[in-house]
Amino acid sequence: MHHPSDDCGCSPTPATYTAKTFRSDLKPIWCPGCGDFGVVTAIYRALANIGRPPHEIAFVSGIGCSSRIPGYTTAYGFNSVHGRALPIAQGIKMANPDLMVLVAGGDGDGFSIGGGHVPHAIRRNLDLTYIVMDNHIYGLTKGQLSPTTPRGAKTSTTAYGSMEDPVNPLLYVLAYGAGFVAQGVPADMDGLGKMIEEAIRYPGFAFVNIQSPCITFGEADDQMKVQKTRMRKLAAEGHDPTNRLRAIELAQDYGTELYTGVFYRNPNPPPTYDQQIRERQAALAPKPVAA
Amino acid sequence: MNDLIIGMAGSGGDGIVSAGESLLGALAREGYYAILTKSFGSQIRGGESSCRLRVATTPVLNPGGTLSVAVVLNWEDFLRFGGELPVGPATIVIYEQKTGVEPGDIPLPVHPTIVLPVPMAELAMKAARTLQAKNNVVLGLLAGWFGLGREAILEGIRRKFGKKGAEVLQGNEQAFAAGFEYAEQHPIGNDKRLSPPAGVLAKRQIIDGNEMCAAAALFAGCKFFGGYPITPATEIMQHLQKDIWKHGGSLLQAEDEIAGIAAAVGASFAGVKAMTATSGPGLSLKTEVLGLASVVELPLVCVNVQRGGPSTGIPTKSEQADLFAAAFSSHGDTVRPILAPINVEDVFGITVEAFNIAEQYQTPVIVLSDQEIAQRKDIVDPIDTSRFKVIERLRPSTAELEDYSRFKFTASSVSPISHPGLAGGSYLAAGIEHNERGSPTSSGEMHSRMNDKRLRKLDPLKRRDDLFIFEGDPEAPFGLIAWGSIAGVAIEASRLARAQGLNVKLLIPKLIYPIAEDVYAKFFTSLRRCLVVEQSHQGQLHRLIRMWVDVPRNFSALAKSGANPITPDDVRQKILQLLSTPATASQPTSAS
Repeated sequence: MHHPSDDCGCSPTPATYTAKTFRSDLKPIWCPGCGDFGVVTAIYRALANIGRPPHEIAFVSGIGCSSRIPGYTTAYGFNSVHGRALPIAQGIKMANPDLMVLVAGGDGDGFSIGGGHVPHAIRRNLDLTYIVMDNHIYGLTKGQLSPTTPRGAKTSTTAYGSMEDPVNPLLYVLAYGAGFVAQGVPADMDGLGKMIEEAIRYPGFAFVNIQSPCITFGEADDQMKVQKTRMRKLAAEGHDPTNRLRAIELAQDYGTELYTGVFYRNPNPPPTYDQQIRERQAALAPKPVAA
Repeated sequence: MNDLIIGMAGSGGDGIVSAGESLLGALAREGYYAILTKSFGSQIRGGESSCRLRVATTPVLNPGGTLSVAVVLNWEDFLRFGGELPVGPATIVIYEQKTGVEPGDIPLPVHPTIVLPVPMAELAMKAARTLQAKNNVVLGLLAGWFGLGREAILEGIRRKFGKKGAEVLQGNEQAFAAGFEYAEQHPIGNDKRLSPPAGVLAKRQIIDGNEMCAAAALFAGCKFFGGYPITPATEIMQHLQKDIWKHGGSLLQAEDEIAGIAAAVGASFAGVKAMTATSGPGLSLKTEVLGLASVVELPLVCVNVQRGGPSTGIPTKSEQADLFAAAFSSHGDTVRPILAPINVEDVFGITVEAFNIAEQYQTPVIVLSDQEIAQRKDIVDPIDTSRFKVIERLRPSTAELEDYSRFKFTASSVSPISHPGLAGGSYLAAGIEHNERGSPTSSGEMHSRMNDKRLRKLDPLKRRDDLFIFEGDPEAPFGLIAWGSIAGVAIEASRLARAQGLNVKLLIPKLIYPIAEDVYAKFFTSLRRCLVVEQSHQGQLHRLIRMWVDVPRNFSALAKSGANPITPDDVRQKILQLLSTPATASQPTSAS
């Protein structure tokens, strides 16, 4: 399937990609029951629907359980260092704007050690899709406080309960002007796959926060079974995703209400940074000498 | 005279640096060689400022030591530069009469023979009705007394002030003429005049090391720059942002130093030649990502323009104290090649070489420039770019893409590298240890083999004796070693020593790391004494060599902290001092 935008650089001929095309031979080492299994499956489905060949995709991550994800795809993967996935991804996209560039990681990678990069990725507005698997805990290092751990939560570094307020990833990215902001859960695989597909198709910086439960260190009321009862689909609530102020209002309930779906989609996407790079290169390229 | 060193100092608004630049331009047009170094107080704008200009009829090796001419607009500012503007008995001192100091009472530790008070402000007011013309009075004085290109300076004044209206231009021309006439009316002797330039008049350029670095990067095929502003490296980004787009590349002024290098690593992963540039504090921040580039075997050039450290240190002044940081500051068993240019012209070849080594061996390469080279302006002969080859990274063949292993063990330990967009070449670049295919592993055996691969592929570098300069008798018993901007000082010092009949040979490494053990061992064979000259308190190269090579028994260092100039005469004196003490059979002397 061809991109809806005309200049995506991908093949316009219908391809026969399936989810399997994007699954690598590497077996995920996540704990059985981890939410990230659902996330990677949703990504396979979204990529199959979009239909760009795996070798035209660069998939970048940092460090954490969820950052293992590029290795489980057949795309070019970059499992880098903690917190730096976004700047690496921007370098890739700038060097070759024809590539589809995906970025993934956990809440610690994106909103703690790498939190300083998020506003700048948003304001530059390269055509990237940033998928955060938000589990409110540091899972890889066995259960420490994360930037999205709720106040009062007991973790292996807060035996008496957390004394700090968590980051609100949705408000964070909305405040900095992200053009596409959504939240999904692996408990709703259909919704998650479609949301990721829509995020990738959005021409600009797109953010998907996935409440991806940690089966080993996470809270009981964060798990998938509970998600199914708690989730409230924004579409069903009649939310207009072009209404940014309403999106900000709904995003305030992060941590108390489990909204899923698209919070905000800019109806008039501004030019991306990568488009501007091409224009500048074309404008400044040496003029061919007339014969 | 065929070698003249002029030092000038004043307060920020006196235009003394601007006068130095005008003079440099004029001298280039006349066919001289020169080096212009500027120095400021620790604030980047305002405060005291100075410049020193060394001009000669043949290429200038270093900014020199004791001044031939000192121009003092006010004493307080001049004295703040201390050893940067050293005055000796033979220095001709020209100072503002308005400072009220009698020629016999000038506040200097020495009493120069020729001391010339000049009413600079008064001449400027009379000629141009503004004190701003004082610097052109100074240029007139210098042209008159030392025979420095009168017409070429006037041409420069016309270029600079032509756009500012007839009145301004005329005022400045008259200020210059007033200085010139003053000098003619107060002659100091024709023997003080600079000899005419030698050789053919080539179209030479005036350029500093940072601009040269940007030009070289583009020549080498750099298509991406990611960086963050930091003194004294920022100009590399400033120059590149003008031109990189024309070459089909792009540039990111990142949100921080880490993002700058991370984006460059990303661009390299995407298949283009990429670069970052910084100075000490930025190098500290970038080190984790440098380690990442080593492990995922991605080519990357990281220029580090050294300044006084640690921490903020002395941002505006030169030092050579980042060598340990460049060599060792990422965790784990890594070796990153380090190259150091010796002067502005050399920045071209060294930057191109850095890209070539990065691409050929799929490794980050650090270029250790320094503030001196980066920000001083040299008159440089045109670069003959046909002398430089450009190397591209090894791509996988169609057959190799059939069953691609990104980190394949090969005879050279270099594996063909694919990039996103290339069908069949997909792989995982993982900072985590990986096997040949790029799949994560925690096997000690695989880790050991991969470490060996990543280190062994750099071994050929140690045989690159073309990245060293040798001078002198190969059998000489005394050896001198220096690197970076201090190399030019050592070259002159060794020539001075040999002219004095001392059998001194010289080794200038431009490949700083890995240590080329055999090159040093060969150099050391004939030595009874060896002196390493460098601008760091510990003598970092001196110590680094000792870590890798068996050194001569009398292996010492002339090591000074940054911002303390080392002059050719300092080195010559040190050689004499060492030669006057018997060579001991005791332990090597440590850095002094």
